[in-house]
Amino acid sequence: MATLQSNPLPSAPNGGTDATVVELSSIRKSYDEFVAVNDLSLRIRAGGIYGLLGPNGAGKTSTIRMIIGIIVPDSGQIAIFGKPLSSRLRDQIGYLPEERGLYRKMKVLEHLILLGQLKGLSNADATKSAQRWCERLELTSWTSKKVEELSKGMQQKVQFIGAILHDPKLIIMDEPFSGLDPANALVLKDVLLELAKSGKTLLLSTHRMDQTERLCQSICLINHGRAVLEGDLQEIKASYGRHNVQIKYNGDSAFLQERRLVQSFNDYGNYVEVHLAPGADPQELLQLAASKARLSKFELMEPSLEEIFIDVVGKPNA
Amino acid sequence: MRNTWLIIKREYLERVRTRSFLVLTVLVPVLMTGFMLLPAKLVKMGEKAQRIVIVTTTPQVGDAVRQQLLSSMPSLADDDESSAGEGSKKKPEDQYILDVDANPAESERAALRDKVSTRAIDDYIWLTDEAIAAREVTWYGREMPSPRERAWLAAALGRIAVQQQLLGKGFTADQADSMLTPVKIERIRIENGRETTGSGTGRFLEIAVMIMLLYMAVLLYGVSVMRSVLEEKNSRVIEVLLSSATSTQLMAGKLLGVGAVGLTQILVWIVMAGAFALPALAAQPNLSELRVSPFALASFAVFFFLGYLLYSTMYATIGATTTTEQEGQQLQFVIVIPLVLPLMMLVPVIRTPDSPAIVWLSMVPLFAPILMYARIVVHTPPMWQILLSFVLMVATVAGLLVLCARIYRIGVLIYGKRPTLPEILKWLKYANA
Repeated sequence: MATLQSNPLPSAPNGGTDATVVELSSIRKSYDEFVAVNDLSLRIRAGGIYGLLGPNGAGKTSTIRMIIGIIVPDSGQIAIFGKPLSSRLRDQIGYLPEERGLYRKMKVLEHLILLGQLKGLSNADATKSAQRWCERLELTSWTSKKVEELSKGMQQKVQFIGAILHDPKLIIMDEPFSGLDPANALVLKDVLLELAKSGKTLLLSTHRMDQTERLCQSICLINHGRAVLEGDLQEIKASYGRHNVQIKYNGDSAFLQERRLVQSFNDYGNYVEVHLAPGADPQELLQLAASKARLSKFELMEPSLEEIFIDVVGKPNA
Repeated sequence: MRNTWLIIKREYLERVRTRSFLVLTVLVPVLMTGFMLLPAKLVKMGEKAQRIVIVTTTPQVGDAVRQQLLSSMPSLADDDESSAGEGSKKKPEDQYILDVDANPAESERAALRDKVSTRAIDDYIWLTDEAIAAREVTWYGREMPSPRERAWLAAALGRIAVQQQLLGKGFTADQADSMLTPVKIERIRIENGRETTGSGTGRFLEIAVMIMLLYMAVLLYGVSVMRSVLEEKNSRVIEVLLSSATSTQLMAGKLLGVGAVGLTQILVWIVMAGAFALPALAAQPNLSELRVSPFALASFAVFFFLGYLLYSTMYATIGATTTTEQEGQQLQFVIVIPLVLPLMMLVPVIRTPDSPAIVWLSMVPLFAPILMYARIVVHTPPMWQILLSFVLMVATVAGLLVLCARIYRIGVLIYGKRPTLPEILKWLKYANA
């Protein structure tokens, strides 16, 4: 389980400065008619976790593939650590693709050493680092097994180690939590936070808002290949104001039908989340609700990322 | 460079360590030897020595004829045109059993005829002094003697007849022998001012070995390259690799790694063949004719390697554009046709290696490994032609490698159906830089 010992790897001494790690300037990528990424600009500062959000097909993976250099943008500039991507810079990046894949017939440890060496580590360093991470993620007894003998979840962990064992300054992960059980997701989350604390820059792409909300300091929300929201998560939330009310009640729910006050609501059975109509006074709703039903809770909420997301892009299609 | 080396190492070790590699490496030579020896063995089993009775007036003449026949057996190594097709090298005593019968009576003739009928003997030759003097000899047998056997007998008897006459005229046996010493013809080919003793068949053999090895390498290892490209695409490991290395590095590493496996296997086979075949070869009297010039050997290595690279790059490209092995195999004809075509041109190439059509065909990179090499073996072409075909091949391999690497990189994005040619051309555009 998640042992909370400190990160055994040496960390780069570049924590929390204002240095820009990734900068995209008006990049564009199209396949035939389909525009995957359209005039996208964003800036990721050193240190911390940056979330790249968007519904399926928004252009997240295309964006990431351009950052890592697998595909080349039609136009626009990409700078990593202030420079155009080169093979030297590539060694500073760790990448976990959305489509996981390993050589099925290779042994786990050998595979990790290969990935480490491809990132410029010596054989000895790659071995040492791979062994340490396997210990940390409880894979030690599997290191001499072939990849195909491992469960999907364990293969995920191997792939995860492959992305970080060379101690990269920038870690890019596409949907890092998909396919992991809750216990392993927790371990992964701990490791990610630890890496962020030690000064690494993490770029996570996901369409799961709850994780992003808890992990990320900054986000970029993209839809149809364009950035629709970018910046510090707290600032974004603050600018959205408090238009949401969470109500626990017993009895008549007719107050929800009051169109003047309630724009929409989401009934979870136990409680209901209400999105107030523009200009509506929450106090008025409280009085109305209290007159019809027994309330056990009435709370004015900060908007969740999911709500902002839905507000900006409409209903996600997944 | 380092990345390419790492990929080479992986591809090599992953293959060499498998059990199938070991089995194939050991089994192929065993099977090959079996296929080569079995027909000869089968023929030998059915074949018994031919029993021939020589009927002469006196036993002395009979023995002389017997000696002469045994010492001038047909189908022996003194003419090498026949030695290439000769599977059964036997001592004359094993092939023919010659008995002398000094009783040229009509009753004996009847008895011998019966013996032939009852298969106690196979043939008898009526060789009385009168017959020799008349120079008309009769061969009786169940089967007609072959032209070679007739020539053999005629030569031997002619010699005996002359010898008998010389002895009759008072010459000693030694004098008669020295007068009858046959003329030996040594053949020397002049090539670029140098003299070689190679025969046509030896040359043909060299070309055949090249073709065999090239076919085997392409069909075994080319397919292996294609399969491994498909595996990387389907298992999606390619995306992780592309975040560390360029697609050209990956592709070059794969081709060289798999090629090294093939080379290892071929080397093992050569060593095994050497260990087993060398004693047999040493017994062969015309071993010197099998000697290959160092230049031909070097060009063999170069053209074999380039041929392997060219064809397996084609396989890799097929792997990069398809999604399953079945689809890939359907496209294999693209590779097999240019591999088979040179075979049909081989006879004209050997006859007229310098005709303009053949000169230019041997420059075509797809044909060069076989045709240019064949020309080098038959009659060394001018250096500029060899160099030009070499440069053309290297350029083609490099160009195809870059092209294939691009398709391979874009292949990451493609799932499901096989792309059409226009789509592939579009990918190449996406993969700019």
